[in-house]
Amino acid sequence: MVAEPALEIDSLDVRYGVVPAVRGATLTVGRGEIVGLVGPTGAGKSTTMLAVMGVVAPAGGTIRFEGSSIVGRPTERIVRMGLGLVPEGRHVFEALTVEENLRLGLIGRPDQSGVERDMEWIHGLFPVVYEFRRRQAGLLSGGQRQQLAIARALLARPRMLLLDEPSLGLAPIVVDTVFAALGEIRRSGVTILLVEQRAQITVGFADRTYVMSNGILKMELTATDADATDRLVDAYFGS
Amino acid sequence: MNAGQVIFDGLALGALYALVAIGLALVFGVLRLINFAQGELITAGAYSLYLTDNLPALASIVICFAVCIGLSVLIERVAFRPLRGASPATTLVATFAVAFALEAIWLMAFSSNGKPADPLASLNQIAIGGSLALRWVTIVEMAAGVVLLGGVALVLARTSVGLQMRAAATDFRMARLLGVRTNLVISLAFVIAGVMAAVVAVLFTVQQPSVTPTFGFDITLVALVGAVVGGVDRLWTATAGAFAIGFASSMLADLLPSSQLQFQTAWVFLLVLVLLLLRPAGLFSTLSRSTVERV
Amino acid sequence: MTRLRVPQTLLASIALLAIVALLGSGASASTQQDYISALVSATIVYGLYMFVGSSGVISFGHISFAAIGAFSAGVLTIPVGPKHLTMPGLWPFLAQHSVSSLESLVIAAVLGGVSALVIGFPLMRLSGIAAGIATFAVLQITYNVLNQWTLIGPGPTTLALVPTTTGIWVSLLGAIFSAIVAFAYQSSRRGRLLRAAREDAAAAQAIGVHVVRERLLAFGLSGAICGLGGALLVHQLGSITTDQVYLELTFLTLAMLVIGGSGSLWGATVGALAISLLDSFLNTAENSVHVVFFELTLPNGSSDVILGIIMTLVILFRPQGLTGGSEFSLAGLARVGRLIAASPAKLRHRPARSEGPPAPRTDM
Repeated sequence: MVAEPALEIDSLDVRYGVVPAVRGATLTVGRGEIVGLVGPTGAGKSTTMLAVMGVVAPAGGTIRFEGSSIVGRPTERIVRMGLGLVPEGRHVFEALTVEENLRLGLIGRPDQSGVERDMEWIHGLFPVVYEFRRRQAGLLSGGQRQQLAIARALLARPRMLLLDEPSLGLAPIVVDTVFAALGEIRRSGVTILLVEQRAQITVGFADRTYVMSNGILKMELTATDADATDRLVDAYFGS
Repeated sequence: MNAGQVIFDGLALGALYALVAIGLALVFGVLRLINFAQGELITAGAYSLYLTDNLPALASIVICFAVCIGLSVLIERVAFRPLRGASPATTLVATFAVAFALEAIWLMAFSSNGKPADPLASLNQIAIGGSLALRWVTIVEMAAGVVLLGGVALVLARTSVGLQMRAAATDFRMARLLGVRTNLVISLAFVIAGVMAAVVAVLFTVQQPSVTPTFGFDITLVALVGAVVGGVDRLWTATAGAFAIGFASSMLADLLPSSQLQFQTAWVFLLVLVLLLLRPAGLFSTLSRSTVERV
Repeated sequence: MTRLRVPQTLLASIALLAIVALLGSGASASTQQDYISALVSATIVYGLYMFVGSSGVISFGHISFAAIGAFSAGVLTIPVGPKHLTMPGLWPFLAQHSVSSLESLVIAAVLGGVSALVIGFPLMRLSGIAAGIATFAVLQITYNVLNQWTLIGPGPTTLALVPTTTGIWVSLLGAIFSAIVAFAYQSSRRGRLLRAAREDAAAAQAIGVHVVRERLLAFGLSGAICGLGGALLVHQLGSITTDQVYLELTFLTLAMLVIGGSGSLWGATVGALAISLLDSFLNTAENSVHVVFFELTLPNGSSDVILGIIMTLVILFRPQGLTGGSEFSLAGLARVGRLIAASPAKLRHRPARSEGPPAPRTDM
């Protein structure tokens, strides 16, 4: 089914001290796919993403991006290879202006051509970001920050975007805006791995969804399983 | 003593401490590291001035800059980079240990006797005479303080690398996730710290032309205290704090009754204590207290 | 499991202290001083450990209490006759009274503890770098006052003619006593509360732990032990200046604690003894020393250089300290044995750790 894999994670183990956070996770994201990763808090979803980005070092297993292993590479190199992460909590630079935040997004770009075109595209995608470009990022609302964080990540021209709980703490209408933008981003050719706690939306939205719990991948669902609540609940709480 | 003279002396001392604080604040900003070894850079620069005393002043000063910058970057590379992510107590003791080792080296190489170094001794001449003597060195120190602080602020505000530095100082991990080359940014902070140390070494030898092993350590300690009192996490507040402590201790030396003069240090640090208790995040800081407690 | 491990760490610490004392008792008079120094250092480091290890707050001020202990014990035990000659400016009450060494130890501990409580009362609200600088200010003030105020001591001159009553056994007893106090505190309910607060201040506060009060208790206790350590020091040396209980001692004791592993009593023991003995050894080696088969002579002044470099290297390769910050346990010993037997590659395999510093969100 997965023709050309963008990201391949095989038997990934991550520990914090002696506490295991991810245990033997194996998953694949094909080029151009949107893949969801759902599970309760502490399931190891964020840790998996941080391991992909080289922020935490795995204790075992392999991570490959477009065929080449990226374990042990420094984060800034992984970014330049075409991977981007929008972390949980957005992490916009509150003291900087929106524009400065966007300029930081340009740092990880492989080349500086086509910046203007991308800027235009992003302004179309997230009009609020353009509207408030002179404002301090700390003054933005949660939804605006989320849009800024995604916009910033896009400016690095990633071929694959990891998003950690983009809907967290957002009003439903803003969630819709964000997910609509994600659909648009995917159509532009960017592969997406989406970590969410809102399982139902995610399963419905993504091509495929992995369910993770206690550091272990439990099962894989497709969009047609969105209404199969029983299976989801089982996966969340079953042992 | 003349009131104007007191103010001039205070300005000179304050400017000197402010220059030290620029380097401390930049390094603290990107690494959350209080670099006690920074004072050793100043000492190294001053000894290099002593060793090159026979060269023309300009050559001597150029060598001093090279020594300070080189040592600063070297220390970061060898001693601090491997400790990134270690606990604050560990990194703090590491900077202490480096300072301790370097100071022992100075003592072994140069003994505790003062060594003469004064490439710019002519700055001791009086610029404006009369009842209040304003020496050139005071003017140069003030000017250097303003120009360098402005220059660093401009780099931070206007350049890409400055933006990256501000980002790394705010949220180190996020900066990396955006592709900021943090090693480069950190090295730059240490280069600037080295430049400041060299400037201080050159200017401080004018006032105190005898270099001892603790030449730089002592002033760095005071500058550090001032920077923390002002708010070490921001360039402006740290420099202002360091300037203030220099100015205040100079003023206090004149204001205290002669019976209390021997307790000048105690009075200064009592003031430090009170200010820290009143404003733990920094005298000039607008941050909430909880932010600082996470350091 | 942890319950079982806990007495082991105290017993192991006492055993190590006793071994040092036994080695010292057989050594020549001058070499014996090195062993006494190690045991006195251990006492001061235990004091430091009680606060820093439990609260996680760095203190540069502890040597103030050692200084207060040293000078009070010294001034009080010098016989009345010579005291009039060496310290003519002394406050009459101090000038006219003299106490025994044992009494002076008690007084020093009480003074150290009380001054720590008084100073700590406003200071314990501070954390992080503000706490570091505030305690540093305390050190500066103590130093300045002791160094200048001839009403309470010798001022800038040397405090001399102090009875030298800290022999090898007295220093051992002092160190064991301090280890027991530190251990009793850390395994008490209050000690465990403060440790819990160090791990997670918010959670501790939520279950009703009064962090500031718990810190103050630890600060007071540690001030008392440091005071005792200072008194032992002055009775070892017989004479002392304020510079001997100032910056260098502050740095060295902090380094001992961190290098040993600041989170555990065992770490404090190992760090204090190892660094102190190494320091003494290097100093002796400057006047040449026999090492097994050959004569080692270090260039003059190089001992501190080597000490500084060794300390830096230990921190670089063992950022958690020599003991890794864990308490002594036989099970742990076996684990270390297995690790050493294992391949070096396995040793290098570090657990997941964020590479950047824990960056609080602040602006520059």
